Amino acid sequence: MHPFQCHSPQHELSRRQVLGTFAGLGAGSLLSPLVANEIKSKQKQVLLIWLDGGMSQLESWDPKPGTEFGGPFRSIPTTLPGIHVSELMPHTAQQMQHIAVVRSMCTKDENHSSGVPRILRGDPKNRGVTYPYMGAAMSHLKGKSDNELPNYIWVKPGSGGFIWQHGGFLGAKYGALALGDGKPPVHINRPPGIDDQRDQVRNEIRKRLNKSFQKGRRSAEVEAYDYSFQMAEKLIRRKDLFADFTPKELERYGSHPLGRHILQSKRLIEEGVLFVQCHSYHWDTHADNFNMHLDLVPQIDKPFAALIEDWHQSGLLDNVLVLLMSEFGRTPKINQRLGRDHWPEAWSLAMAGCGLNRGLVLGKTTPNGAWVDDQEYDIGHIFHTVFKAMDIDPSTTEYHNNGQPLPIAHDDYGPIKELLA
Amino acid sequence: MLVVQVSTILEWLNRFRLEPRPMIRTASCRFTVAMLLICATVIYGQDPLSGRIDQLIEAKVNGKVAGPASDAEFLRRSYLDLNGIVPTAAQVRSFLADKNPQKRSKLIDQLLNNDAYSRRLREAFTVMLLERRTGSTVPIGQWNSFLETSFASNKPWDKIVREIIQADASNDQTQGTLKFFTATGRTVHDQLTQDVARLFLGMNIHCAKCHDHPTVDEFKQADYFGLLAFLNQSKAAKHTAKNQTFLVEGVATGKLEFQSVFSPDEKDQVGPRLPGGKEVAVPVFEKGEELSQPAADGLPGIPKFQPRQILAKELTSASNRRFVENSVNRFWYLMMGRGLVHPLEMMHAENPASHPELLKLLAEEFVAHKFDVKWLLGVLARTRVYQRASLLPAGVVIQEITPESYRVANAKGMTPEQTAWSIMRVTGVLDEIIKKERPEDSGFNVKDYINGRIPAPDNLIDTMLLFTSIFGNPPGEAEVEFQPSMGQALFLMNEKLILDWLKPGKGRFIGRLEEMKDFQQVARELFATVLARNPSDQETNDFLQHLEKNSMRRTAAISEYAWALITSAEFKLNH
Repeated sequence: MHPFQCHSPQHELSRRQVLGTFAGLGAGSLLSPLVANEIKSKQKQVLLIWLDGGMSQLESWDPKPGTEFGGPFRSIPTTLPGIHVSELMPHTAQQMQHIAVVRSMCTKDENHSSGVPRILRGDPKNRGVTYPYMGAAMSHLKGKSDNELPNYIWVKPGSGGFIWQHGGFLGAKYGALALGDGKPPVHINRPPGIDDQRDQVRNEIRKRLNKSFQKGRRSAEVEAYDYSFQMAEKLIRRKDLFADFTPKELERYGSHPLGRHILQSKRLIEEGVLFVQCHSYHWDTHADNFNMHLDLVPQIDKPFAALIEDWHQSGLLDNVLVLLMSEFGRTPKINQRLGRDHWPEAWSLAMAGCGLNRGLVLGKTTPNGAWVDDQEYDIGHIFHTVFKAMDIDPSTTEYHNNGQPLPIAHDDYGPIKELLA
Repeated sequence: MLVVQVSTILEWLNRFRLEPRPMIRTASCRFTVAMLLICATVIYGQDPLSGRIDQLIEAKVNGKVAGPASDAEFLRRSYLDLNGIVPTAAQVRSFLADKNPQKRSKLIDQLLNNDAYSRRLREAFTVMLLERRTGSTVPIGQWNSFLETSFASNKPWDKIVREIIQADASNDQTQGTLKFFTATGRTVHDQLTQDVARLFLGMNIHCAKCHDHPTVDEFKQADYFGLLAFLNQSKAAKHTAKNQTFLVEGVATGKLEFQSVFSPDEKDQVGPRLPGGKEVAVPVFEKGEELSQPAADGLPGIPKFQPRQILAKELTSASNRRFVENSVNRFWYLMMGRGLVHPLEMMHAENPASHPELLKLLAEEFVAHKFDVKWLLGVLARTRVYQRASLLPAGVVIQEITPESYRVANAKGMTPEQTAWSIMRVTGVLDEIIKKERPEDSGFNVKDYINGRIPAPDNLIDTMLLFTSIFGNPPGEAEVEFQPSMGQALFLMNEKLILDWLKPGKGRFIGRLEEMKDFQQVARELFATVLARNPSDQETNDFLQHLEKNSMRRTAAISEYAWALITSAEFKLNH
């Protein structure tokens, strides 16, 4: 672990890797073989890869070598003529023809604690309600898919659980199923003596009790509790989703946590999960920015490039939207600890798939990288674009919260037209 | 004359299930009603402060309020909050049958003065103050013993906190306090500074390490460094002869320098200083004159100037508004399910208390009563707001009711400890587990157990370890909100130990039920044991039907039903 990393729960994940609910799996606890490459559904899906703490745009998508704030790394050419990225991303540079990069994100919040939820909720105007996270919104707007898996799964380091708060005003059941370290809990296995029929009978009694208790009471807690059991039942039926990765997969994606978590996310998408959010922490490089990015960027470069290549080849990229982003970028100015601080003013993100135009770089920052020079975009534009790509029209679709109509995305913005085919 | 709100009186009358009559609303009856209310105060033993708390809450409810909790709901709630466990079926029956109008007040006194009380408070504050951090420098048993004896003797809260910060290992009684400073992760002064600010002052000053808080004006970088200056000389050291850990202080030489990452050219400095307090001057001694006692036995010398000792005194002073308000806010949260200031660690002007006058009143009274914890919990337990039903008032939809209005009781999730104690009690294994001594070389750990490498825990310490690992948060993450997880559901569904506890056996719940001939009685016993109430007719019928359908496997069917009750939301929620 790096000595300068922040330690807040917002951008560091807990130490519970071996103990507790999501404890490591023993040999033989996973049984079924996996049919990983079978594409089970043609529905549109989203994989959001989130680099928590804020990846530096200057050490990734928008390098400015040789300028005042450029830092020590060079830039390298890509498969797009005239487009360069940081030399820390050699693999992604070879996949740029499938990707769209926005270099002119300009958002408002420079705090992790408020910035992360603000970005993940699409920063709608303050409506006096808590908006759902993108995954919860999608889960609500697209409705239940025909597979047995939850609509919204969150692959993250540390502990797992059911994070119902992501549902916002939509309600607890739209929350995220978090898989700590990408793994299922060990109690996915039933002990002898409990078969499907017995299990069903006892759960039916439990559900009847919950239903009668809920009558006349605040329902959020009961619903969330009940839902945690529903998800448990579903997962028991799908143990095959968590089989070990092959040496070849680990070679291509990396055996470090981010590589494994992207592999696990890939598997969940391929099994038909509507929305998967894959988190990586420790990107908050207030000190020693360059060594940290030297260490961190390759951990996303390789698996991200492998994912794009694999899904392009299998055709899945036509239906799945991949979004790679943080809550903001990092300051052009290098501080006295050789760090870069929080910078929402001008940063980059990448998108691919799901019918979006490919091989594009949109927007421009000033020569020193400090400000947006052209085509400024807010997170609201990104939400509009994602909704459009998912066949949801924000101009005709709205939420209804106890009778109050609410826009699904910031109503001052619209989609990024250049990205829409 | 007492000014009494009509709604208050109607609610009180409701306790006797009397129909409110129109005449109650007329002014001529005000006097009678006021007298009645005074009688009620006497009958219920309601402290005058409890009444003032209710007035301040009810002045802001802005709508219909739920009626009082039923006896059963009140009984279960106060057992869980004050004793950390559900009542037994016998306790339920006896409380429901008791005709004494003062039985609630009597129960509160009883629950505040038994052994389970000090255990429950020890558990609640261990989770709150250590946040499940572990570490081997100071055995957890020492910490437990310090907290439990402190709560048992009703040591004033300011003294408990003072002793934790003083961390005096030379005294057997306070040896365990060192756990706070030496728990895993806290040996870094940064973490310690943040945790002291968060837990004792209600300030999350994480951001203030690198710069003033960007959105909270009150949380300054100087607050962080001022607090750090009290703590940065402290570290653990071992007394070689006694083989015992002490928390020692180095020699402080001056102020701490800091700069904001937003303006790295402007340097600033601060000495030991509490947020909102006066800076303590760091005395400069001649070289060689800094110590009052020389180094010995592996411990460094004791400096004349010991900032942590000053912090212990200043932080816990009755004049430190932040400390007092944070304290009452956390006791309020324990009883009511949310803080008057919420989140608990965001106590600042831009996030004011839901009821600022109430927070102020509680803080003043807590000081006036010399930080008496039992007194405070007793006062809170005797309020109407604590004794409110969890059922919504008729005709009101939940969307109208915010949790901070306290118009209905806010449901709390059972803590991991409450879950463990309650499931053990319900299934009837509690006595045998308590009696079983933990072998010195137990070596139990949860990872090995759930991966099938070692046998199930059979003693209290190891069993609690299993439950807190499954139901608790990772170390360093506060447990405040109800966060059900699929992993916990899977544990309840598929953990062999739980299912074994639900098999018939001597002294076990299912063994007891199996022997009963009258199935109606089985239903009553099931509901009283697990949910601390009687079943409705519909529920009894549901159970009888289940038995009938499974008449060939009756014991297993009873066990299934008990499992469903234990895994129901009604059991998991402290409502």
